[in-house]
Amino acid sequence: MLFSSITFLYYFLPITIIAYFLTPARYRNGTLLLASIIFYAWGEPKIVFYMILTIIVNYALGQLMEKSSRYKKIWLLISVLFCLGSLGYFKYADFFIENINAVTGLSIPLLKVGLPVGISFYTFQILSYTVDVYRGRVKAQKSLIKLATYISMFPQLIAGPIVRYQDVESKLDNRNYNVDAIAEGIRRFVYGLAKKVLIANILGELCADFRTAEEISVVFYWVYAVSFALQIYFDFSGYSDMAIGLGKILGFEFMENFNYPFISKSITEFWRRWHISLGSWFRDYVYIPLGGSKGTMARTYLNILVVWMLTGFWHGAAWNFLLWGLYFAVLLLMEKKFLLKVLENRTIVGHVYVLFAAAISFVIFNGESLAQIATDFSGMFGFSGLPLVSLETVYYLKNYATVLVVAIVGATPLVKNFVCRYEKLKLIEPAVLLGLMVVITAYLIDGSFNPFLYFRF
Amino acid sequence: MKKSNLMMIITMSLFFFGMFTWTVLADTPDYSESERRVLAGFPKISVQNILDGDFADDFDEYAVERFPARDMWRGIKAYTSRALLQKDNNGIYTIGDHISKIEYPINYPMLDHAADVMNKVSDKYLTDNNVYFAIIPDKNRYLAETSDVLAIDYEELTEYMTGKMSFAEYIEIADLLDADDYYNTDTHWRQENILDVAQRITGKMGEALNGEFTTEVAHTSFEGVYLGQSALKWQPDTIKYLINRTIENAEVEGAKAVYDMSKLNDKDPYEMFLSGNQPIVTIKNSDNTNGKKLIMFRDSYGSSIAPLMIECYSEIVLVDLRYISSDMLGEYVDFKNADALFIYSTSLLNNSLALK
Repeated sequence: MLFSSITFLYYFLPITIIAYFLTPARYRNGTLLLASIIFYAWGEPKIVFYMILTIIVNYALGQLMEKSSRYKKIWLLISVLFCLGSLGYFKYADFFIENINAVTGLSIPLLKVGLPVGISFYTFQILSYTVDVYRGRVKAQKSLIKLATYISMFPQLIAGPIVRYQDVESKLDNRNYNVDAIAEGIRRFVYGLAKKVLIANILGELCADFRTAEEISVVFYWVYAVSFALQIYFDFSGYSDMAIGLGKILGFEFMENFNYPFISKSITEFWRRWHISLGSWFRDYVYIPLGGSKGTMARTYLNILVVWMLTGFWHGAAWNFLLWGLYFAVLLLMEKKFLLKVLENRTIVGHVYVLFAAAISFVIFNGESLAQIATDFSGMFGFSGLPLVSLETVYYLKNYATVLVVAIVGATPLVKNFVCRYEKLKLIEPAVLLGLMVVITAYLIDGSFNPFLYFRF
Repeated sequence: MKKSNLMMIITMSLFFFGMFTWTVLADTPDYSESERRVLAGFPKISVQNILDGDFADDFDEYAVERFPARDMWRGIKAYTSRALLQKDNNGIYTIGDHISKIEYPINYPMLDHAADVMNKVSDKYLTDNNVYFAIIPDKNRYLAETSDVLAIDYEELTEYMTGKMSFAEYIEIADLLDADDYYNTDTHWRQENILDVAQRITGKMGEALNGEFTTEVAHTSFEGVYLGQSALKWQPDTIKYLINRTIENAEVEGAKAVYDMSKLNDKDPYEMFLSGNQPIVTIKNSDNTNGKKLIMFRDSYGSSIAPLMIECYSEIVLVDLRYISSDMLGEYVDFKNADALFIYSTSLLNNSLALK
């Protein structure tokens, strides 16, 4: 079920909120769990049973790790193998089979297993729990209901942020509600929904128009690169805002997942602002266990390379995602080696460098194949013999100019800073939110274009 | 606790729960007049349906299509799109008083398909006939002259099609038309404005069309197909028709009448011309004793131009290859001693999959 759908907004959400707050506090986890299972089953009526099984298995393994600590490592290994094995089966098996067939000439049949929605997110969430139990950072959750609620809660189940158990542990036992937190939750949810429906979806239409255009031009390629970078930002950060907002309404505090990444002055900084929960997960559960930056320079570089290849691969079972990860690994290594020093005190250069690097990266990210990426770069840099601009380019630029400008401004803290400066604007906020919901509803009813890019993961 | 936050919670709660109540309780129609289509119904509930995911998908579609006051929401979206200075909304755009739909780019596989069907018909049935071919430009051709909306290269399309139709004599009609010869809110041309087109076509086919008609008004609030699709508030059109004694006396088979007034209250009043799209319609003109017969392969545009040509022929047979396969034509149409005219709009040629 999508947050940006009529079913969620005007059926599921009102019913769930009513049921949740009418339920006595000690049973609210149960209500939330039931609602979350329905939420997930709506899109994955069969895979929901796998998710429940995964929760039960890892609940049991968490208990075993505490009760029988001699074999802690074995229980952790089973958890890792189960989770990563399942992820491998659903997400990566056919990628490996295709490549084995390509290299060896064999014809191993593909499994053609559908990718369950959100599996990459909740698998990493489960693993963070069992690893933290193993490390003794958290105590294993004795209540299966509470653990299941943590893993499956619908606000963050299918698209993050990847929530750490320690961040919600106390809230599973006892949640306080206050007007200010709920209001902030509503605010975040509506603004996130607006980012998704009124900016990301419209920019997505521009990207789709680009792919079907008759008269592509060099400028159109760059418009596409910028538009897709903005689309994925507003799509994903909008979804994160909605998740965080819903969490607040329900009494939870989730970590921020985006912090205006496009104002970064280095790629190092960019990745502290983009998909923060994923970056911190890889840091804590892969990079640091590998040794982080504690060993030799060569070992540090290898660790960075491994982490970024895995980060790319997490995003999708395709070569372009591996290339994307490798691309960032190279940039981060260069920055670590010398580039950060060069960029120091060169703010404008840093901003331009990040925007350029990010635009290039998302062209790789969105490429259907390596061949298409090569074609896209050839077009962008004028090696395809394309005209600089075309009538079609001008038409689409005019058609989407307003949304592009709003997106570019919205990707910076300018709007937030402006609103914060004028307290009196809070008085009209209910009207603004209502107005946004009216327009959002109109777009959802009249539009058929409503993808969520990170559902692939 | 800030009072403004409490206000916000109350406001948004009233909104969400109000909308929930409205969606659950509202009785919504299962047919959209403006969109001219049936809307999704409540999905079937069964274990199989649920496990397959069909119930969820169908419910999502139902929730959107049967949302209360659907036309109002579509209108809000349309006007918001205009406020954002977007040139089109779902491909629908406005220029002056006209509403139209972008037809772009040229779809060569579709042109090839259309040409293949026409060539097949010609090879099978028309080897001993005079065959003619005309292309009716859709109004985007003329609207593009005063706007920067994307439009196909009509000259290129015409050249491509005439190249594929070497068995037919091409009749150019585009120079006789402009945007105002089409309804403002619909794709079709106005019958009262295309007499010169009918005269040129019949002239090229060897028949002089005198063209004495009286103009009558059939419908004063015709909301064409684009009006509904646009979801905008717009001045509707007036449907006029041309009548004379020949048309009044003509006998029609396959349609109710040359001008079927019962259609004026239906979903598409333009179907008053020869009862709309029918596989085969025969018009007999007993006033004309020259024995000349015309077989017109046409789309919906042909419905309004064919009545103007009746006086030139003893019989006109209109064939719509979207509703009858060319393989079966021989069983229903006698091609002997008849002229043949293929007359299709550019929108049909560019989306010709339905031709069989």
